[in-house]
Order: sequence, then C-alpha cells, then structure tokens
Amino acid sequence: MAVTIHPGRMQTRRWLHPSSWLALGLLVSPSLAHAYVGPGAGFAFAGSLAVMVAAFALAVGTILLWPITFVIRLVRVGNPYKHAQTRRVVVIGLDGMDPGITTRFLREGRLPHLQKLAEAGVFRPLDTSNPSMSPVAWSTFATGVDPSRHGIYDFITRDPCTYAPMLSSTDIKNAERVLNIGKYVIPLEKPKIKLLQKSQAFWKTLGEKHIPSIIQRVPITFPPVPFRGILLSGMCVPDLRGSQGTFSFFSTANKDGQAAFTGGEQTVLRRKGNVIRSRIVGPDNGMVKGGPRMTLPFTLTVGEEGARLEIEGCEPIDLTLRTYSGWVNLSFKAGPGVAVAGIAKFYLLSVKPEVSLYMTPIHIDPESPAMPISHPEVYAVYLAKRFGPFATLGLAEDTWALNERVIDEGAFFDQAMAFCEEREKMLFDALDHTKEGLVTTVFDTTDRVQHMFYRYLDPTHPANVGKESTAYADAIQRVYSHMDKVVGRVMEQVGPDTLVLVMSDHGFTNFRRGVNLNTWLRNEGYLTLLEGRELSGDWFEYVDWSRTRAFALGLTGMFINRKGREKSGIVAEGEEYRSLVKEICAKLEALVDPQSNIRAVRRAVAAFEVFDGPYRLDSPDILVGYEGGFRNSWTCATGSVTDTVFEDNTKSWSGDHCVDPAIVPGVLFANRPLVVENPHIADVPFSILSMFGHKPPKHMQGRMLFAEKGQVGTVRGPLDPHSLPQSGSAPGARIFPEVGDA
Amino acid sequence: MARFNSILTLVFDVLLGRLGHDRPWFDLLLWPILGGIVALLVIKAVSNQAGITRAKNFIQVHLLEIVLFRDDLRVVLPATARALGYNLMYLGYNIVPMLVMIVPMTAILVQLVSHYAYAPTQVGSVVTVVASLDPAVGGVKPAEVSIELPPGVELDAPPVRSAGQEVAWRLRVTAPGDHVLKVHAGSQVEEKLLSAGGEARKVSVLRTKSLEAVLYPAEPVPAADSPIASIQIMERHDQPLGLLPAGESGILMWFFGVSLLAGFLLKDFFGVTL
Repeated sequence: MAVTIHPGRMQTRRWLHPSSWLALGLLVSPSLAHAYVGPGAGFAFAGSLAVMVAAFALAVGTILLWPITFVIRLVRVGNPYKHAQTRRVVVIGLDGMDPGITTRFLREGRLPHLQKLAEAGVFRPLDTSNPSMSPVAWSTFATGVDPSRHGIYDFITRDPCTYAPMLSSTDIKNAERVLNIGKYVIPLEKPKIKLLQKSQAFWKTLGEKHIPSIIQRVPITFPPVPFRGILLSGMCVPDLRGSQGTFSFFSTANKDGQAAFTGGEQTVLRRKGNVIRSRIVGPDNGMVKGGPRMTLPFTLTVGEEGARLEIEGCEPIDLTLRTYSGWVNLSFKAGPGVAVAGIAKFYLLSVKPEVSLYMTPIHIDPESPAMPISHPEVYAVYLAKRFGPFATLGLAEDTWALNERVIDEGAFFDQAMAFCEEREKMLFDALDHTKEGLVTTVFDTTDRVQHMFYRYLDPTHPANVGKESTAYADAIQRVYSHMDKVVGRVMEQVGPDTLVLVMSDHGFTNFRRGVNLNTWLRNEGYLTLLEGRELSGDWFEYVDWSRTRAFALGLTGMFINRKGREKSGIVAEGEEYRSLVKEICAKLEALVDPQSNIRAVRRAVAAFEVFDGPYRLDSPDILVGYEGGFRNSWTCATGSVTDTVFEDNTKSWSGDHCVDPAIVPGVLFANRPLVVENPHIADVPFSILSMFGHKPPKHMQGRMLFAEKGQVGTVRGPLDPHSLPQSGSAPGARIFPEVGDA
Repeated sequence: MARFNSILTLVFDVLLGRLGHDRPWFDLLLWPILGGIVALLVIKAVSNQAGITRAKNFIQVHLLEIVLFRDDLRVVLPATARALGYNLMYLGYNIVPMLVMIVPMTAILVQLVSHYAYAPTQVGSVVTVVASLDPAVGGVKPAEVSIELPPGVELDAPPVRSAGQEVAWRLRVTAPGDHVLKVHAGSQVEEKLLSAGGEARKVSVLRTKSLEAVLYPAEPVPAADSPIASIQIMERHDQPLGLLPAGESGILMWFFGVSLLAGFLLKDFFGVTL
C-alpha cells in the first residue's frame, strides 16, 4: 500500500481547527511558536485588538450613520445655518469683569486685545439681573429670562416649611430604595440630583436645530440637563463631601483654637520626630449604616525644606514649601470593591516651628466622576484624559481658605491661576472641535480674584488692618491682562467670520461695610426673638416666627413671613403684605451708616413690582440694592441677629457685587457693532439664537443686539468712560484715578 | 538549548508529576496564573510604563473624541487615525516585554502541553510513525532505515518510503506501556517513546532536531550527527480534561485566557499598567 505522508501539512491541518483559529486570531499569528509568547503579547494584542475593533466600529458606524443623520437633519430642520449671519459663536464669560476697572486698564493700555476688539466691534456695559450675582445672572444668560421665570434668586434660599437654608440651584436626595445587608446599605437606585433652575437653556434650543454647542463651566448647570450638545457643569457642582467646598488644614499648631473654620476643617497633628500620622476626611459613607465619614490615612515625613506625603493607595508625594502639589487622586473605600474617587491639591505652608499643611476641598474626580458633572458623562472623562485632572468644584478657587487666613494671597492667587489655565485648555480644545456652532466658556478667576484682592485697591479698606496690603496690589490687573491675552489667542484662532462675545455677568465694587438686616429688622420691630433672647445664632436659631413679619437670608434678599407660603407665616396676602413691603423698602432706603453718614441702600425693590413670571412667589419679597461699599454682612447672610446693624468687613473677601444692579453692570465686547446702546444680559442668548438664524422661543425676554441681515449696527467702538457708574469704587478701581476721591 | 530544555523538563516533571495527572485543573490553573504574574513582573521591569500609560490615555482620548463628536466627520476621521496611531505606539511599547517573556512563557506552556495535551495511544489501535532523514548529515538512504519494535507493538503494514527523506510505519499497539521504538539508520539508532493505554501521563509525540524541539521537549533531541532528523507519531489524541478545553489548542487558549485574566486582575496589586 503506497501512502504519501506529509507530516508538516498534517500538523498544520491540526491548527486549522476552529478553536485554534480563535486562539491564533487573538495572537495575530498562525504559528505555534508565536502563539506561545503568551500573556506578554496577549496583554498588548488583546488591548490593541479591542482598540482597533472599537476605533473601526466607531469610525465605520459614524461614517455609515452620518449620511442618515444628515438626511434626518435635512428633513427635520433643513439647513440649520440657512438664515444664519454666522456659523460659529464664541462666548468668553469673564465672571465679574467690571466695566469701570476694564475701562481704566484699557486707558492704561494694559488690555490691547480687548482694545482691538472694542475698536473692531463694540464695548458696552451689560445690564445685569436683579439680584446682581452669578447664579442669577448666568441663569438669565442661559435661559434668556428674568429670575421669576428661571427661579434662581440667590445661592441659597429658605425652605418655607422649616426656614432652614437650602441650595437654590440643586436638590440632592439619596437613593430611597436600598437593600440592607448587615452593616451595609446597598442603594438600588441612583441618588436623585435635580437642577432647580426652570425654563430652558438656549443651547438646548440650538441643539434642537442641530446646531452643536460646547458649554463649559457656566454657573448653575449642575446636574447637567441632557441636550444635543456637550456641557461641563460649573458653579454649584459640590465637592466630594457634598458641600460647596470644604478645605482641610492640618497643623501641629491649633490655629484659632477651633476645630472648624467657615468652609473648612482643622486637624491638629501630633508629631513624633519627623513623622506625623493623620487622616484625610472624605465623604460620608452612604453604603454603611449611620453614614460614617470615610477616611484615608496618611503619613507626613517632614524635612528641612519640604515633606514627603504618603497617602494610602497613592504614590508618595514630595512636597516643597509653599508650592502646590499636582492633583492627587484620593480613593475612599466605601465597601468591598466600591470606592469613591476624588482629587485634591496639597500646599505645605510651613515645616518649622510648626508643620502646617493645607489641602484643597476634595473635588469630584473628572476621570471617574461620583456624580454627573458633564453631558455626556464621558465629556469630563475625555477632558481629564486629554489634559489631566482639573478642578470640578463649582466654586473651585478656595476663597474661604484665604478668608480664614489658612492660606495667604500668594497661595490663593497661584491656585486661581492654575485653575484658569486648566479652563483655557478646555476652551481651546472646544474651539478646535467646533468649526460650526456655539462655544461658551466661563472663567471664574476674574470674579474670585476681585473678591479677594479688592482691598488692595483701597488703602483705607477695613480688611487691610493687620494684613499685608501692597504685594498683590496688581493682582486684579494681572488677571485682567491674562484674560486679555486669552481673548487675543481666541481672536487669532477663530478669524473674523466667527461672532466673538466677551462678557461678564456683573461688575464689582467695594465691600467695606456689612449690614445685618436681621438686626435692623429686630430693631425696627419686624423680627422678634424668643423671650429672653437679644441675639440669634445662624439660621434664625432664636427667632419667634409667630411674631416675625420679615427676615433676611442670603446676599440681597429679604422675605416677608407670608401666610400660606411660610410655615408660620403671619402676614396676610393683599394689602397687608403690599403695604408692609412698601414700608420696609422706604425705611431701608433711608438707612444711614452712622460711621460715614452715607445712605447704605441705594434702591430697595419690591419683588411684586418687578417680577411677573411663574416662579415669582419663590422670590425674596424685597431685593435690597445696596450702595457701593455696602453689602449684607456675613452674619446676616446666614440668618443671625447680632448687636449692631453695621460692621466693618475685615475679611479678605473685600470686593463684591451684591448691591444695586445699576452700579455693577457687566461688560460686553463683541467683534460686531450693536443696534442698542444699553444691552442686557438677557439679550445675549436671544441674539445668539437670532444670529444663527433661528427665531428665539416666545418665552425669552431679550432683544436682538446685532443688526439684521442687510442692516448696519450703529453702536460701535469703545465706551465713553464718563458714562459708567462708579458708586463705591475703591480709588484703585476708578476710571479716572487722577481725579482723586470723589 | 537542548540542555536548557532537558533541565526544564526535569524540573517540570517533578513539579507537574508530583501530584499525578488526575487533577489537571490544579496545574492548569496554577501555572497560567503564575504565568500571568511572571508576565506582570516582566512588563513592570522592562517596559516603558509611562509610555504605555500615555499611549493608552491617548487611545482613550481619541475614542472618546469619536463618541463625543460623532456628528462631525472632520473630527471623527482624524481621531480614528490618531487612535490607531497610538495603538501602534502601544504595541511598540509591548515589543520588548513580549520578547523577554517568550522564554518563560514558552517554557511553561510547552511543559503543560506535553503533560496534559495528549492521551496515550489506545491499546488495539493503529498509529503511524514517521522518521525523517536529515539531508544535512546524509549517508543514509530511506531503504537503509528500519524499525525495531518492543513487545506490545506490532508492525501492521510494510514501511512506506517516500520519494523524499521519510519512512513511515503503520504500527498496531497490542499492550499498554511506555514502549521504546528503535529506529535504525545505518549504524545509528534513535529511540522514540510510544505511550499506550493506562492512565493519563506525559506523552511525547515528536522527537526532533529542528527548532520545534523547543515546543516538544518530552524526549531528548537526537544527536547532531544522527542521520535521523525527527521521529513523529502522527495520530495524536487529545487528553480529555473534563470541563477544561483539551488538546494543544485547548491548553493554549486556556493558558492564554487564564494568564490574561490573572494579569488583568492582579495588575493593580503589582502596580503595572497594561
């Protein structure tokens, strides 16, 4: 029997078995020897193969779907840019940029790019919302409506059922459906996080018209509301502990002898030789009954010029004196296999004689967000992977740490500028990705630095007492100049066809004197304390609600204790209510600071006279428009009743804008002329929709700022510096410093 | 290489044979896991971990870019190209550890294969044994090659001598045992083990001079001056391994899968970026 045998071929045939193909396919090699390379190649090939498959699937899917979505878009909305005057709009929001200070710096030649922008287009003050504060004004920007239509009147409001404070913007409730297993509480649903802002953001309207948007850090966008576009949430995003920012101060000294500061906590350290052991306090553990705080142990080994910080689960960090660490990933273990991720920066304040270490609030880690901070959720992940970790906390710049003098101006300024640089990268990435559509990025740096460095512009500011008051005299100017450069880069990148708007939500003025309206209300007999009480702690601790007709909470609002609205309301609706409001408004406008004999309140506005929207009942009943230099005192904002109505503001937070909105307009720069002389912040979203060729929804209250097609805008060029209000402005902030004190 | 192979074989005969072959799941779990750990240690030691992290990061960035900006082909197409580019970079970073790992991984895997992949030939069945002559040595023609069979193995048909350098014998196994076949080539004799019947055990299917000896280390490599290049048993039967995949390819896949899984599960513990 003649048999021809080819052993090699037979062996090869064995590897043609289907299961072999699978193995070989995985290894991208038909050879046993190569396949035997095993896991080493496996790790690389398995990962790479997955990437290739994913990339091709995504690309092919996108390419295949693109014509379909294009046709759908054509059928549904036609060409979205058919009537557009521009195909791209870029809004650079510079929170708190003041037209007066801007004008001064323009006159001094410090803002060449903004000067160029004003000359090519326009620079005008931008009327702001009432109250003139960021959550309110940016909500008006987002929705194009006044506060009685978007429902945001302040950072906080009171719960009418309890008089307790609550966030105006967000309602966060833990999961109700849970599974109890021993000490663990397993949530069976996600926590309910709800944005309390009403109405509809104009970028949602744009999305419906298939015009893409990238919206970055606009205040009051947490949690992000889904829309056809991309959004990164801004002001009011909490830290990992659920607060609006709680810093940590670790020190071998007991600063001020207290465990807690406003906005922060102190841990007193015990030193053994050069080694200090302590714990970072994280969020409450919702997965364990009683919700104990999660902590991360750390060891600090102190050297001559620095220290080594070793946190459980992290690589060791070498800290240099008075220099920020990079973002450090902190992972708090909530239960088996469950961890909550946060990021924080460390700043070694001193190593001798005492060791002091500052830690920023623990921000939600954008690469693994514990709460939704962007839409789509992967946008934050994308940014983090592209540029590294970034500040996610709404009020990211730690103003309270400086206010409490835990850090100094230098540390604060460095922190603010670092966050600003993070934001710049995001802005330019958004520009790269948006050849058509809307890009809006809000920078908070201008606002925070003015709040904290305004005292440098006023040599007699009460906050200067006991503090260094010259080294950072140029801090505000440096930030304005920095933002001017950013504007210059944007202008260079986008070209003249893009509509560029540089705007702020409000301006700034001095904050020298705090006014405790609750104390004033008590003195005037509108607010009554419980028997035997002369004063009240925070949150109306000793207020007798059955005999109280009015109370103040937050930064500009005064509430009437109205029957049917407040839990223990005593003021009847109708004439009693209206006459009480009028009476208080008149008295407020006559309120004089005994120290200077200056009227403290420029204009007290009855809400019922200015608001007619569906959420007008949520409004404070009186909006207190202070004169420049005055503001609700810190104790008034938290519902305390103190000894005196007026007090010096000695905190580093020395500039403010919670005054009469008429004296703190924002700014509007555009690279096109306007058709109106006095633009309002509500006009901006209206105009953007119009410039894209789409009729704004009827509920929007703004006007078109720019000329229609075929028309010419007549309001152009830089601003007449004499036209600006300068009420209360510090000498260093005045447009005409040569004139001297007014 | 031959010496290295024989040392490894000795070591693994002790390690794998000690518990017997009735509990293959133990060895087939333990060794891939150890393989995964070895891989992690090698990767940690010789790879550019920062580069791998960076490449992986950029791959993810560009994949997310495709997801986020899917409506804009001007973004999607370059992002796809960049993702694939960084993928190549990622593969590049893995070349060095891959090369380093070839030796230990191959060593472990071939030993597992020789111990667990093949079943002994069933008593009563017919097997074909093929001897290949080494043309480099020469001096012996196929006609001069014969086989000497031990008790328990019988010639089932006359040998077939191919036009090339091969001789094949069809043999019938009549008794269990580890039979030693002797192939005579001129004055030289080379032995080949034929395992038949009985319990699962290490089975040798190929004895060769070629590089393939690395993959079939159960028997010593023929001497360099031997006219016999290889002796091969053509009928290989997979050793059943219960629920585990059997045969060369089964063990290969299993080893690959378990070591990968172990590596991915333990990478954080070892602080390795894959």
